[in-house]
Amino acid sequence: MTSLGQFYPVASPVHDLDPRAKIVATAVLVAGLFLIDSTVGLLFVAVALVALVGASRIPVRDFLRLLRPVLFIVVLTVVFQVLFSREGTTVFQWGFLEVHAGGLRLALFLTLRILLLVGVAGVLTATTAPVELADGIEDLLSPLKRLRFPAHEVAMMMTIALRFIPTLGEEAEKIRGAQAARGADFSEGGPLRRARSLVPVLVPLTVGAFRRADELAEAMESRGYKGGEGRTRYRELRFRARDALALCITVLVLLIGVLL
Amino acid sequence: MRLELRDVHHVYAAGTPFEVAALRGVSLTVEPGEVLGIVGGTGSGKSTLVRHMNLLLLPAGGEVLVDGVDATTLKKSELRRRVGLVFQFPEAALFAPTVDEDVAFAPRRLGLDEDEVRERVRESLGLLGVGDLAGRSPFALSGGEKRRVAIAGVLAMGPEVLVLDEPTAGLDPATRGELLDLIRHLREAGVAVVLVSHDLDEVAEVADRVCALHAGRVCAIGTPAEVFYRDPGLAPVTVRVASLLQESRPEIGEPVRFGETVAALSALSGV
Repeated sequence: MTSLGQFYPVASPVHDLDPRAKIVATAVLVAGLFLIDSTVGLLFVAVALVALVGASRIPVRDFLRLLRPVLFIVVLTVVFQVLFSREGTTVFQWGFLEVHAGGLRLALFLTLRILLLVGVAGVLTATTAPVELADGIEDLLSPLKRLRFPAHEVAMMMTIALRFIPTLGEEAEKIRGAQAARGADFSEGGPLRRARSLVPVLVPLTVGAFRRADELAEAMESRGYKGGEGRTRYRELRFRARDALALCITVLVLLIGVLL
Repeated sequence: MRLELRDVHHVYAAGTPFEVAALRGVSLTVEPGEVLGIVGGTGSGKSTLVRHMNLLLLPAGGEVLVDGVDATTLKKSELRRRVGLVFQFPEAALFAPTVDEDVAFAPRRLGLDEDEVRERVRESLGLLGVGDLAGRSPFALSGGEKRRVAIAGVLAMGPEVLVLDEPTAGLDPATRGELLDLIRHLREAGVAVVLVSHDLDEVAEVADRVCALHAGRVCAIGTPAEVFYRDPGLAPVTVRVASLLQESRPEIGEPVRFGETVAALSALSGV
């Protein structure tokens, strides 16, 4: 069920944080991870991340499943580092294959870095509802409004896009079913044939998406929707002490990681 | 063919917090050449039920039998041909550049030769009364025309059981009437029809038997008179009128179809 970027709706102190604080903390961490140059430093951040996942009340198994999509990249990185690095003492040799200690160390370091990057972003999306995320991004981008950047419109587009992912998924499932009832088979043949068998699904799906977009635009207009200026929100975001505290802890963890 | 569902269960999103039991032990048969109406409120499991008839959904418990044989042992393509399933709002799945290309999709998948495919397309478009639209783009048609083209696309497989999930939803009365005529025509040709509908009046008009679903269970199944007179408050207008008069004039009997009710009322008033 859970996959990368999916919201995991449970009640926890991490879920309760202001989305702006979480977005900033994530951005700081993601950038900061590239400043950490020791494996020990990364391990320290990893421990902090485990504690964070614990506090967010996401079952560990579900969180690990969230990391599964990047497994391929991790494996690829490890294989390349281990096989092609010629640094340090030789640990193992078989024919032209040589494994060096430096390669192993670098593989571990990069694996940790990738998993942390994805894990940090994963905590943000798993603990922040898509609508909150969009609201937070709108607020964070709003200083750019002075430069005529359409912050509200961008956030609205994101919200709508996120909102319609499950709807499109449902629609795709329905169309797949309807075509399967007419004898379509999506699993037989080579990749080319399978790609072609998707045409009867993709064409109606696209047509439907355009129709839906038109309908939504009309529905918004008939309810008097008018862009950003002077628009208020049903849910006001409030930046509280604990949000500041969370940001401080993030920076602290990162600093210790860099120094280690 | 005889289609039988035995104690079919279905659970959506099993094992997650979003788990929903949609079917809780449904048993029913579709006899050869009959029209079976399936009625029930939204969320009663009608659409889930019909998706089990050609095994688009696999039952979590129970079995689906085709002429007494477990349907899971049949070839999937063979089962899908014999049990034609028309989804709710089937026009959402039209995809080809022209109407006849779209209707030809299913017969081509059956591996028929080109002459046979053309013949089937012509025939099923004709049955739906939209033969003149063959060269048009399906996206440029009216809602009713699209609906009929989409139904023709399933009919072109030559199914032995045709399952229609709310085929008349949102159609004008004339098109609705033509679809009911088509159902009668198919019954005469020996094709069994399963008609899922919220419109009790149209079910009363064409169904030989009616199955009422509630919360994933069959709560009544039998002739339209048996099912509708059990709870006349939730019955077609014809049944409601007759049951109102039944207290004072029991000789009115239990008419169901429009014609029957008119005849019974005429007999009462001696016209």
